[in-house]
Amino acid sequence: MDYGEQADVLQVHAAVQREKREPRVGAEPLSIWLIAIYGLAIFFGGAYLGRYSGNFMNGGLDPMGVPPPPKKAVAGGPGGEQVELSPRDRGKKIFAANCQTCHQANGLGVPGQYPPLAGSEFTNGGSRRMGMIVLKGLQGPVTVKGQQYGTAVMQPWDKTLTDQKIADVMTYERSEWGNNASPVTAEQISALRKELASHPESFTEHDILAAPDEDIPGGPAPGGAPPAPGEAAKPAAPPKP
Amino acid sequence: MNTTGIPLKEPAVSAAAGDTEHLERAYIDASTRLPVLMFYTSAVAWLILGTLLAGLVSFKLHSPDLLGNVSFLTWGRLRPAHMNVLVYGWASMAGMGTAVWLMARLCRSALRFPLLLVAGAAFWNVGVLIGVGAILLGDSTGYQWLEFPHYVAVILFISYTLMASWAVLMFRHRRGDQIYISQWYLLGAFLWFPWLYAAGQLMLFVVPVQGVLQAAVGWWYANNLLFLWFGAIALGTAYYMIPKVIGRPVYSYHLATIGFWSYALFSSWTGMTRLVGGPFPAWMVTASIAATILTMIPVATVGLNHHMTMQGYFPLLRYSPTLRFTIFGAMSYTVFSVVGVLISLRSVARYVNFTQASIAYSHLGLYAFFTMVIFGAMYYIVPRLVGREWRYASLIKLHFWASAYGIGLMTLMLLAGGFLQGADTQNPALPFSESIETVLPYLRGRSLAGILLTASHFIFAYHFALMLLGLGRTATVPTFLNPLDAEPSGGH
Amino acid sequence: MKGLAPLFLGIFGTFAFSWIGLTVIPNWQIGHLNPQSDEEGTDIYPQPQSGMFERGARVYAANGCIYCHSQQVRADYAADDIERKWGDRRSAPRDYIFDRPVFLGKMRMGQDLANIGARAPAPEESPSPAGVASPAAAPAKQATAAGSPSAAPANSPSSARSPGTAPATSAPQSSPSGSPAASTSPPPGQRTGVASPSPGQMANATPGGSSPVAPTAQTPAAPWPIQTEGLPPMYSAAWHHVHLYSPRSINLDSNMPSYRFLYQKRRITGERSSDALQLSASDAPPAGWEVVPSYDAKCLVAYLMSLNQSHPVKDVRSIGGAAAPSPSPAAPVAPAAGSPAPAK
Repeated sequence: MDYGEQADVLQVHAAVQREKREPRVGAEPLSIWLIAIYGLAIFFGGAYLGRYSGNFMNGGLDPMGVPPPPKKAVAGGPGGEQVELSPRDRGKKIFAANCQTCHQANGLGVPGQYPPLAGSEFTNGGSRRMGMIVLKGLQGPVTVKGQQYGTAVMQPWDKTLTDQKIADVMTYERSEWGNNASPVTAEQISALRKELASHPESFTEHDILAAPDEDIPGGPAPGGAPPAPGEAAKPAAPPKP
Repeated sequence: MNTTGIPLKEPAVSAAAGDTEHLERAYIDASTRLPVLMFYTSAVAWLILGTLLAGLVSFKLHSPDLLGNVSFLTWGRLRPAHMNVLVYGWASMAGMGTAVWLMARLCRSALRFPLLLVAGAAFWNVGVLIGVGAILLGDSTGYQWLEFPHYVAVILFISYTLMASWAVLMFRHRRGDQIYISQWYLLGAFLWFPWLYAAGQLMLFVVPVQGVLQAAVGWWYANNLLFLWFGAIALGTAYYMIPKVIGRPVYSYHLATIGFWSYALFSSWTGMTRLVGGPFPAWMVTASIAATILTMIPVATVGLNHHMTMQGYFPLLRYSPTLRFTIFGAMSYTVFSVVGVLISLRSVARYVNFTQASIAYSHLGLYAFFTMVIFGAMYYIVPRLVGREWRYASLIKLHFWASAYGIGLMTLMLLAGGFLQGADTQNPALPFSESIETVLPYLRGRSLAGILLTASHFIFAYHFALMLLGLGRTATVPTFLNPLDAEPSGGH
Repeated sequence: MKGLAPLFLGIFGTFAFSWIGLTVIPNWQIGHLNPQSDEEGTDIYPQPQSGMFERGARVYAANGCIYCHSQQVRADYAADDIERKWGDRRSAPRDYIFDRPVFLGKMRMGQDLANIGARAPAPEESPSPAGVASPAAAPAKQATAAGSPSAAPANSPSSARSPGTAPATSAPQSSPSGSPAASTSPPPGQRTGVASPSPGQMANATPGGSSPVAPTAQTPAAPWPIQTEGLPPMYSAAWHHVHLYSPRSINLDSNMPSYRFLYQKRRITGERSSDALQLSASDAPPAGWEVVPSYDAKCLVAYLMSLNQSHPVKDVRSIGGAAAPSPSPAAPVAPAAGSPAPAK
């Protein structure tokens, strides 16, 4: 580079003249406070990374690993395992979906057609009779609370509802509208279902009244074990025409 | 060179043949004249166009029937057009022009192969022009920050290859054995950009990734562009301008090293913070948020480095335009990073995601930080290229204050509006339109800020045009911002 | 720092680290998802879009809809998207595997659109402009056919509907104008479609339809979105056309731009076209003229109507209580019991 030959360079403009020299770097040591800041940043960043990485290997979508339970009682539909509902609440839903059309929301039924559940001797009595009706259905005339009903047929629910659902809806009905009878567990219904396994479809009033007015054995003692299968078949003669 | 107190001194007598350093620099400046001025002129032209588009975008958001029902002026097309013009037109070209000049100076070697740069710049301009036209006419790709159609990407790539080859050649022929801090950042920027662009184009268009990963790649690209291309250029520029103007060495080499590497390491991981809550593996988002927290390391380091370098010289801010713009930008870098951390934490992102706050963040980075530093650089570099001083100190002052107030107001409006908008959206008892009603006055405030910014840019463009036309001042004294107070001497 | 080599290595290394970490590894994790199917290999979700829907997506991209609308539902613990009934579960990566480009979006100046097609009323209720395959039959993302079938809340405008109504095709519905619950007009835009059916309504409810989302004990019946008189049912195809043509006729405070350039105003020749938009007040064309959508507009609306993420996916829990599309063996409903939707 022969500077002398470049014409415009000879008129070195004032800007370059007055410039300071090109930048240099000093060598001050790190301040201890800065290292403290580094430590804080690494700590918080690392902690955040550790806590919220979710299921790294599977590419999980949730930062905590598993999705936390929903905060509000967003009612699940038929699959509602999201919220802890009591058996009564579950039963209420099942009632509304299945039983309400006939027995009505207030449990009073329709005179002449559908018997009431409120104050009914079957609902308030032992769960066996009620369970038999719900599982296998009822046809023919029946007297409830002194009134006769007989024009309608009650369908069996053993094929459409699970044991848990039947137990829940019975629990609900037995504690609603002023009823005050014992709750029912799924194990009880399961046992009853086994007992009645060979029975064809509907019962009649005669069959129901022939059965003992007792609770199905193996009731919901808190923490109590479900009854052994053998006990369910009580000596009381199950109605088998 | 003794600098005690405020370093204003008499300019050296002109044309002393013995002062080779001056001559060398003058020679280098002369060699950079054509390419750098070409970059700068294109950049300023794109700046004006982009600002006008931005104004239209801002107004149409709260007055949607303004110039409505025209297909190429519909908001959904104007917005990407404005963004791409400013990102690839203004910011990239101004950044490249500054980087070219800095590289030449720091490599202490005259600019060789200027035609590479000229051709590169020309192609780049063509690419951006076609791209903007394509977006307005309905050929946008639909990926944010990558809306240019593929044929434009090819043009940009070719032009960039030309420029990058130049940078590599310059670097190889550099003189001196130490690589100064700015050169690390600039070399990084020149390498990172093509890798980023190539990766983005490949993974989105050539061998597209599946499903939501497209969004992940897109925002990885966008955030990395912001940090590794624009941020790196801006930091490199600041590291040159600050010690150069005040004549003092940068405070600490160790800080600079830690700052650079931690910046490269952590900022590149922040992409997913734009997608908090989205359908992604949780670890991706968490990693980005953690990386954002860790970017506090380079922020603190670089901030301290600059601050200690400036210590005792803050009064110079009264006089030097370059210093003023650069320090504003450097401080904005801190603000920008802190805002970034705040809005990406999951608990805050719950409210702020999908609101105007994210626009505030982008503008803090691209304008308050990058653009202001580049303005400062242009105020320093242009006189050395055209041989004249800036004509009107008042225009420089107007430019600075209009920009500063403009971006300050805009950031405030969008952050506040964004938070309120988010709060409303997270209140399910309110209809959604309530959140829009809440943010509308803030959008109007932002339009006001936009008017300030538009005025500022027109002033700058006019001033720049005067310089290009050789109408600057012929003087030995630089254009100080408050010349009457200053001693009749240089220091700039 | 001396030496180019360490500098270059470092620059390359940091880039590679971020590239591999944020794009390559996630690609390995979720980049090769297949649609899910049930045991028999049916009920495939999601399905790739084609035809009008694909073109509609391009129109969506070209006009920058993503700059105001998002298409992602966030988890219930992360945000209130689900409470707003923008979806009944969060979006999962599997929902987007056939989307190109993917429109997750970054801004909500307008509502989230991930399930906008799911919130459409039943096809019989919504007169779709001729030429658009009814969303039910289309290769929409949801494998099941009908949307929410049973007695959708009727709106008095239905009888005043213009000839744009496409004649109902499939399952018999309780006629909207005859429905006893019509007068109370519960918010029709709700995801459930069925608000609180009265017992009488339940009696004529469609038997055995795939159960609509059970109305839940959430926020009390919000007074919005309001179905405006004289407009097509909310979120139906016809509604989308009116919304695109003139957003402020639907919501005065909307700041959405109007897309009239996607529509044509022309003279009515012979009979009024079945595509014609139902416009009112100042937007309505003068007598003898009609406004019809261009093909791009139809494609865009078809695309919008196909946006539906209500199908359950195995990766994500459904919160809103949508039943699985294939009737679960636990509760097949005997016709006499009426629809499984519980009454309040």
